[in-house]
Amino acid sequence: MGIRTTTAILAARALSFACKIAGKQGVTMAGKLAMKVDPQILKKLASQVRGEIIVTCGTNGKTTTNNLICSALEADGRKVICNHTGSNMLMGVAAAFVLNAGVNGRLDADNAVIEIDEASTVRVFPFFKPDYCVMTNLFRDQLDRYGEIDITMDLLRRAFDMAPDMKIIVNGDDSLSTYLAQESGHEVITYGISEQVKGAQGSADGSTREIREGQFCKKCGTRLEYSFYHYSQLGVYRCPQCGFHRPEIDFDACNVDLKDGLTFGVKEKNQALRRIHANYRGFYNIYNILACWAAVRTAGVGTEHFDRMLDRYNPENGRNELFQIGKTKVLLNLAKNPAGFNQNISSVMEDPDEKDLIIVINDNAQDGRDISWLWDVDFDRLQDESIRSITVSGLRCQDMRLRLKYVSISADLIEDVKTAIEKRLADGCGNLYVLVNYTALYSTHIILKNMEKG
Amino acid sequence: MKITIAHLYPDLLNLYGDRGNIQCMKMRLEWRGYETQVIEYNLGDPVDFTKADIVLLGGGSDREQMIVCRRLQEIQKEFLSYVEDCGVVIAVCGGYQLLGHEYSTPDGDMEGLHLVDLTTKQGSPRLISNIVLENSIFPYPVTGFENHGGRTYLGEGVKPFGTVVHGYGNNGEDHQEGVLYKNVVGTYLHGPLLPKNPHVCDYLLKNALQRRGITAPLQELDDTQEKEANAYIVKRFVK
Repeated sequence: MGIRTTTAILAARALSFACKIAGKQGVTMAGKLAMKVDPQILKKLASQVRGEIIVTCGTNGKTTTNNLICSALEADGRKVICNHTGSNMLMGVAAAFVLNAGVNGRLDADNAVIEIDEASTVRVFPFFKPDYCVMTNLFRDQLDRYGEIDITMDLLRRAFDMAPDMKIIVNGDDSLSTYLAQESGHEVITYGISEQVKGAQGSADGSTREIREGQFCKKCGTRLEYSFYHYSQLGVYRCPQCGFHRPEIDFDACNVDLKDGLTFGVKEKNQALRRIHANYRGFYNIYNILACWAAVRTAGVGTEHFDRMLDRYNPENGRNELFQIGKTKVLLNLAKNPAGFNQNISSVMEDPDEKDLIIVINDNAQDGRDISWLWDVDFDRLQDESIRSITVSGLRCQDMRLRLKYVSISADLIEDVKTAIEKRLADGCGNLYVLVNYTALYSTHIILKNMEKG
Repeated sequence: MKITIAHLYPDLLNLYGDRGNIQCMKMRLEWRGYETQVIEYNLGDPVDFTKADIVLLGGGSDREQMIVCRRLQEIQKEFLSYVEDCGVVIAVCGGYQLLGHEYSTPDGDMEGLHLVDLTTKQGSPRLISNIVLENSIFPYPVTGFENHGGRTYLGEGVKPFGTVVHGYGNNGEDHQEGVLYKNVVGTYLHGPLLPKNPHVCDYLLKNALQRRGITAPLQELDDTQEKEANAYIVKRFVK
C-alpha cells in the first residue's frame, strides 16, 4: 500500500484519539487529515470491500436507516464499514474507512454501509461506485446551505449518472425522490405505505397545515392529486395531466399499528406477509425500518436475525436515545427541519403522560445559519395539557421563544443547555423530552450521558 | 372591524417562513381587538384586491416564481391600482423582485409587474447572511436573514427600506436594502421579517388601518420578547 497510506492512517488514528480525549467527535477532522496525506486513500480502501456497498441519501432518516442496515448486515454475520455517527460529508465518509483500516493499508470488510449528505454525493462517488442507493425522502432543509430542493435534486442527478450500475431503492410515497430515481434510468426498487394510517400526521382530525414540497408534478408542472397524505408530501399521488403517479410498491407496509411501539406487515411479491415489530415511537420510523428491510432483501442479506436486531438496536447517537437520570426518564432526539420536527412533535404527543420539554436551537454552520424554518413547524400542536413546561435553549433560544409566543405558548428561556436540563431534572415531572438541532446533538448527548453516570 | 390579509400563492411562494409574517400580523391585530381574516389565494383563484387591507407576496424557488409571475401579469392592472390607492403590500424575496420592471438572467429576462421603479439582475454568488438595517422612521434596527441571487437596483429617488449596517442588502454595493413606496414594503429580509421586528409589523398595520379611516395611534403591546430577540441579533452581528 505504501508509506503514504500508512502515514495517513496513523495520523488519522492519532488525531481521532486526541479528539476523543478532548471530548470532541473529531471524525471529520481525522478524515480530512488522511485525505490530505493520501488523496486516493478512500478509493484504495473502498476497493477492498469484498461485497456490496450500500449508501443512504435523503433529507430525513438517513442516519437511522443506514445504521439499521448496518446492524442487519452484522446480524447476518458480516463485517461492515459504516459511518455510524452521521458524519456524512466526504471527510466523514473517508474517516469511516480510514479508522477501520490496518496500518498496512488493508481493509477487512464484507460490506460498506455509508450515509452520504445529498450535496456530497457528487464528491464521494468519484472514489467508489455504490451497488445500491437508498433514497429516503426530500424535504426542505437548510436553505442557506443547500438552496432550494431543485438544486439538491440536480446534484443527486449528477451523482446517479456517475454510478450507472447502481440500483436505487426509493421511498415511493415521496413524489420527488421517486421522480428523481425513475428519471435517472437506473433500476428502481420501491418501498411505501399504501394504506392510510390513523395518527400518522399527529392531529386527530388531519387538519394539519404542514408545508408540503413538490405539490406540482416535476414532469409537467400540473398540481398533483393525492388520495391521502401520510405527512408532509408523502402519500399516494398522481398527476392528472401527464400520468406520472406513485409507482407499484415492491415492499409495501400494511396493517400499521402505532400502539405499543410500531407493528406492521410487509407485502412482497411471491413472499409470505412478514410481520415486523419495533419498540420505537414515531410513525416516521416505519419508513426507516421499511427502507432497511427493502435494502436487506434486495441485496440478498439473510434476515433470520432481523427481529432480534431491531430489539437490540440501540443507536446511542442522540436519535431517539433514552436516558435514566435519577427518577427522570429523558428522551433525546434530533429535530433539524420542519418535516422532522413535525414528526418529532407527533412522537411527543403520542405519549399521554405529563411531560416537560426542552427545545435547543443553534445556528452554527452545520445547522444552517438561517432559522426561518422554525416558522414552518406546527408548534401550535404543543398547546396541550400534558405538556407541563417548555424551555427554550441554545444560541437562538430568543427566536424559539418568540415562535412559541405567536402560537400563545409561553416558554422559559435558559440559553445554556446544561443549566436548562439541570433545572428540569430538579423541578420537572420525571418525564423529559429534549429536542435539539444538529450541532447541539453531540454535546447534549455527552451532557446527558455524564449525568446518567452520576 | 375586520382587517383582511390576502396571502398570494402560498402554495407556490412559501420558502422562508412566510407563515410567520401572516401569523404576526394576525396576532398583533387580534391582541388589539381587531377581527382578522386571512384569505389564501392559490394559483388559479381569482384575486380580489378590493377586499384586501394587506397583501403579502412571499418568496419561492426560481421556477415557482416564474409561474406566479405569469399569473400576476394577468391581474397587473388591479394590483397597480391597489398600490397607487395606498394599499398595503409586504413583498419578500422573490415577491419583492416581482414588484419591479424585470428580473434579468443570462438565460433571458422575466418581465416584472412594474409596480415599483426597480430592476433586478441575477448575480453570483448568492448573498446569504444575517442582516441588520437602520431607518430613522423606526425606533430601533430591523433584523433578519437574507438569501438571494438577485441584485436589485432602485430607480432614481426611490427610497430603500433601510440602510445596511450588517449584511449585503439589495445588491451588496450601495448599502441599501429593500424599498419603500407609498404603502409598499419590499425586502429581502426573511427570518421571517415581522415577529422580530414588531415596529415594522405595526407600521404596516397602522397604514392599513389609516386607509380604513382609523387614525388613532395603535395600542401599545408588551414587546419585551420581540425586542430581546431583535437586540440579540444586533449585539451579535454589529460590532
